[in-house]
Amino acid sequence: MKKLKFKRSIMIFTVAALLFVSLSVFIGCGNKDMADVHVFYYTYSDTYISTVRSALDARLDAAGVSYQDHDGNNSQTTQTEQIQTAITKGAKLIVVNIVTTGSDDAAGGIVALAKEADIPVIFFNREVSDSVVNSYDKCAFIGTDAAEAGYLQGDMIGDYVAANYNTIDLNGDGVISYVLFMGEKGNNEAIYRTEYSVENANKKLAAAGKKPLKFYDAANKDGYLLDREGKWSAQAANDYMTTILASYNVANKNMVELIICNNDGMAEGAISALSSAGYNTGSESDTTIPVFGVDATSAARELIADGKMAGTIMQDHEGMAKAIGEAVENGLAGDSLFDGMDEYTIDDDSAKLRISYAVYLGEGEEE
Amino acid sequence: MSDKNKSVKSGATEGVAAATRGGAVIEKKSSVKEFFINNSLYILLILAIIGIEIYDPRFLSLSSIINIISLSAANLPIALGIAGCIILTGTDLSAGRIVGLTACVAASLLQMSGYAGKMFPALGEIPVWIVFLAIVAIGALVGFINGFCTAKFKLHPFIVTLATQLVTYGVLLMYLMQGTNNGQSISGLDSRYTNFITGSMFKIGGAAIPNYIFYVIGIVALMWFIWNKTAFGKNMFAVGSNPEAANVSGVNVTRTIILVFVLAGVMYAVTGFIEAARIGSNSASTGLNYELDAIAACVIGGVSFVGGIGKIRGVIMGVVLLRIIFVGLTFLGIDSNMQYIIKGLIILVACAIDMRKYLVRK
Repeated sequence: MKKLKFKRSIMIFTVAALLFVSLSVFIGCGNKDMADVHVFYYTYSDTYISTVRSALDARLDAAGVSYQDHDGNNSQTTQTEQIQTAITKGAKLIVVNIVTTGSDDAAGGIVALAKEADIPVIFFNREVSDSVVNSYDKCAFIGTDAAEAGYLQGDMIGDYVAANYNTIDLNGDGVISYVLFMGEKGNNEAIYRTEYSVENANKKLAAAGKKPLKFYDAANKDGYLLDREGKWSAQAANDYMTTILASYNVANKNMVELIICNNDGMAEGAISALSSAGYNTGSESDTTIPVFGVDATSAARELIADGKMAGTIMQDHEGMAKAIGEAVENGLAGDSLFDGMDEYTIDDDSAKLRISYAVYLGEGEEE
Repeated sequence: MSDKNKSVKSGATEGVAAATRGGAVIEKKSSVKEFFINNSLYILLILAIIGIEIYDPRFLSLSSIINIISLSAANLPIALGIAGCIILTGTDLSAGRIVGLTACVAASLLQMSGYAGKMFPALGEIPVWIVFLAIVAIGALVGFINGFCTAKFKLHPFIVTLATQLVTYGVLLMYLMQGTNNGQSISGLDSRYTNFITGSMFKIGGAAIPNYIFYVIGIVALMWFIWNKTAFGKNMFAVGSNPEAANVSGVNVTRTIILVFVLAGVMYAVTGFIEAARIGSNSASTGLNYELDAIAACVIGGVSFVGGIGKIRGVIMGVVLLRIIFVGLTFLGIDSNMQYIIKGLIILVACAIDMRKYLVRK
């Protein structure tokens, strides 16, 4: 019986300790007062979105706007429920980085929630359709032109390859073989980047009198390798690259000569696989395969600086945060969301503001 | 617990079941302490509600309460389904993917006619109830495969459903490539369908109550009846407690296991049917990881992995508790990063307290 009592007290102690921890956490973090603005990110695990988040947080802090951030954890259900809850909590404006792109129902549902509460809603980064934006006068979208990243990436690759053709063509057969890692199926940005990167690169190559790029595996009719989880993940690219390197390498004279990635995360994954196989180590003596990404994350910038990666496309997170911040202030003041934001490109037929992309080939080499 | 003892067919099983569930009778001290231990979760829940309400009085406003109820309702069917699997000392990892598959099938068959991105343009208007039956059949089929493999090949459901969730996901990806869809998310749902689910027949004080809450109430009643009043329900608890004993006393163990998984599959289909219209996101990632919240809700609500233990009201309580945590943390304005940690700790604490109940009895 005594032993039982001892055990019991241990149990009570453990439970009490856990409760204490969670309660202190409650009190410690619950200091943000009633937020006016609620910002919903599709996932905290996206590196680019995280840069936007810290830039936007800084901007809203500076403007003295009270806000609360939410992590949708890549689930539309979670995000929609968070929005529902934030509105019952009395949100005055919501900023949404929607999880599901290409579904008018998901976006429309969010607009309906905002409409019912009569508060402005600003979508950003992940695009919603014109009809959704136009369905509510207090709704706007701030993002980039999805196709532009693809075009720019293609141009960048074309220029780079044309200029360094003989170095890149490792086996000297006159054709550059490439592999392309696609981040997600059914996502417009992924589709455009996949399509236009190769298309525009080939245009540039044709202009320079070179042969078009050839996908490394003739049996693959898609012309890309897909992250089946749809996470644009470094891990997926790494797995593919490791597998490829097992049978394609310089010794076999069939090495993949160019690597195109839908984002920098995948580029990182591919580069780490290359490095473990002795390529892209950053030293002059080892073969370096040109790897291209999109986003210009700080990791990618570092890889470019180290000579392990060729180039990327920069999404201007500061510019994005600045534009969102201005629109938020307009919304809170009761003005039209894009009031006085004339320096930006805004679509003709809907309230969609476009932040432009830029090519990034290393510090001081931005175009 | 002891009322379940009546449930089993013969005396042999009854003895085993009673032994497994612990000698509740022996330690039935009607002390205050016992009361607190047995109802600790409810007490904690009430304390949490009071705390959040003091912090932000809008927490218990009418619209907020309806919000909590509707969020809970949407998460209930899947939890009720998975609870059955847990009672059999199993689990079901395929639940989320089945929700995804059924949601996408329902959405694709119920797009509005004339919608530009219609997956099957030639498709006419199908009555909503026919689609409902169709996806219930799909859910039941996957559930049947789960149950069949578990029962016939004596595999742990963890393994079986680990495999079937992959298969289901593959089928879902292929399905999304059908017709004109080309892997896109399915959008443009028919208003007949969305009104049926999210429309509202009642308003209380200006706050609309979505229809699906009433369907879920019906489902809860049905599940309560199945668990407590039918031979199948009683067999389920017997098999969960001790399959050998159940077998000896004439329970068809194989059939019971299969039926539990089929019923679970049906519940996932119901979830998918509600989810497709409620969220409107019908893509390959729909339903991903839903099973985790459902399993958490079950264990919080006292559905034990030991097997043979669980109550409908426990599941409801677990689901509501999880939703209150979700809504409460938002109301408290807690950083999202911290929310994961807190949620994890609460699941641990809740289960530790609940487990203590059984430890004390043993």
